[in-house]
Amino acid sequence: MSTTATRRPARGAIVGSPSSSTALGAIVRRGLRDQRRAALAWGGGFGAFGALMVAIWPSLEGSMSELVDSYPDGLKEAFGIVRLDTVERFVDAELLSLILPMALAFLAVRCVVQATVGAEDRGHLDTLLSLPVSRRVVMIASVVVTGALLAAILAVVWALTWLAGTVAGTGISASTLASGLGNVWPLAMVFAGLAALVAGLAHRPSTATCVASGTLVAMYAIDLVGKLADAAEPLRWISAFRYYGSAIQQGFDVGHVAVLTVAALVLTIAGAALFERRDVL
Amino acid sequence: MSTAVIETDRLSKRYGSSRGISDVTLRVRRGEVFGFLGPNGAGKTTMIRTLLDLLHPTSGSARVLGLDSRRDSRAIRARSGNLPGDFAYDERLTGRELLAFFAAVRGRRDLGVAQALAERFEADLSRPLHELSRGNRQKVGLIQALFHEPELVILDEPTSGLDPLMQEEFLRVAAEQREAGRTVFLSSHDLDEVQRVCDRVGIVREGRLIAVEEVAAMRERALRHVTVRFADPVSDGVLADVPSVEHRELDGRTLRFRVRGEIDGVVKALARHRVEDVEITRPTLDELFLAYYGRPS
Ligand SMILES: Nc1ncnc2c1ncn2[C@@H]1O[C@H](COP(=O)(O)OP(=O)(O)OP(=O)(O)O)[C@@H](O)[C@H]1O
Ligand SMILES: [Mg+2]
Repeated sequence: MSTTATRRPARGAIVGSPSSSTALGAIVRRGLRDQRRAALAWGGGFGAFGALMVAIWPSLEGSMSELVDSYPDGLKEAFGIVRLDTVERFVDAELLSLILPMALAFLAVRCVVQATVGAEDRGHLDTLLSLPVSRRVVMIASVVVTGALLAAILAVVWALTWLAGTVAGTGISASTLASGLGNVWPLAMVFAGLAALVAGLAHRPSTATCVASGTLVAMYAIDLVGKLADAAEPLRWISAFRYYGSAIQQGFDVGHVAVLTVAALVLTIAGAALFERRDVL
Repeated sequence: MSTAVIETDRLSKRYGSSRGISDVTLRVRRGEVFGFLGPNGAGKTTMIRTLLDLLHPTSGSARVLGLDSRRDSRAIRARSGNLPGDFAYDERLTGRELLAFFAAVRGRRDLGVAQALAERFEADLSRPLHELSRGNRQKVGLIQALFHEPELVILDEPTSGLDPLMQEEFLRVAAEQREAGRTVFLSSHDLDEVQRVCDRVGIVREGRLIAVEEVAAMRERALRHVTVRFADPVSDGVLADVPSVEHRELDGRTLRFRVRGEIDGVVKALARHRVEDVEITRPTLDELFLAYYGRPS
């Protein structure tokens, strides 16, 4: 920490405000430092789960296809289980079809809500907004930090799973695994954006969390029902999960990733604008 | 350039149907220490938070440092320092980490006068906030408002939680701000404190600014409660001829009365008697309002 005095403008002179990017950079750096532990804890947890799955794969490999063949078709379709004939597809079914996207979407909601409405609730926002920083920047910083946190978690999960798969001799593909895990990121970021939107309106963290995570669960349910019942199929387009699919089975769908990314961006921008306009109570 | 550092025009803020502040028109001059005095719930915090654009005014407008409080809020905050009424930040951070972060957001590479202030307030910047007592946390709050030597410091009840010694130190720091040509706007419900450090005082009650007074003029009209116990019996009319004495009540050898303005006449009159005990107390804010402005709360 430097204590050397920089040259100050003469007293009474008009000092320009530091640029928004200065504030954004400082808040993001602070946020990243605060989230280091969360990245290791969450990444370590899900990474250990992934590692366990690939480690037991060699002993399941033969029986798995037969087991899946015995499932009803509707169930297989709903949960996207096509064939469990490779280790990557096994990871997809165990980790990427429900658990990891749900968990990271919840985490994204929590992260954005805590840094905004949560900070308002605890009175931290009054202190932070004494500084030359706009509320818009506070909101954007929270989404950026969340994005980095999710990426770090996914990277840790990827590393641990790949390592275990390689050690267990499954011949797991680093790039297929990466595309499957990478596919979770834009989906979870949609919910970061949704949390931003809700935080732009609600004054209570519990309200914001409930609304955003309620929407998350509803979207998952709509997608599931849409897959099971043809009548509900047209509803699926409003669910973010419709654009998630499975990168491991169908490959990385650039169009779907683009839809999710644009949705996340639009929601974040709208949330930032609302946050800027509303009172901080 | 206008000499007004804070200038509001019929500034109002309502919370739904409940009152925050109503029609506050105020000018705070460059280089003065201005006290915003009022009882609990008067609207002091609402006023400050509206000036800082945390709350958007329901009607009216405010200019701070010559800039529009809404449109140019970021520029205003770059040039000012603020201590919220309830100072709180991430409790895991130490004072020094918090200041380094705030300096970074302000685009500064150094901690300004933070170290010097920490020494004066005997603040421990090396411990995380959650380990600090309320008063010691308040000191960190004061330092973060002042470390960058802003042109304008806005402080919401700055001495709350500070012990008397530290309150003294704070009053000295506030006076030094004025000497350096900077402006201080502070809220308080302590008349005594405000009279000791401020040049002018705005008195706010039920959301309205009911008076703006020079502190010197307030002192002249100072109101005190006096209780005197005489050693010997005294006549009914004791002290009745002293012009500044009012509301006399004689109860045996104990006389209670109020002094408005100069107290010298009272002392001279008392000197003619043998006095066992004298107690002089300051009025509560509500009594003061009643006495000055003739409206009970
Ligand atoms: N978030 C809010 N919602 C509704 N009313 C509020 C809110 N905040 C303040 N008020 C009301 O506005 C009025 C002014 O409150 P304010 O906090 O500004 O007073 P204050 O002078 O700072 O009081 P204190 O000395 O207790 O800090 C009060 O009547 C209060 O009930
Ligand atoms: Mg207050």
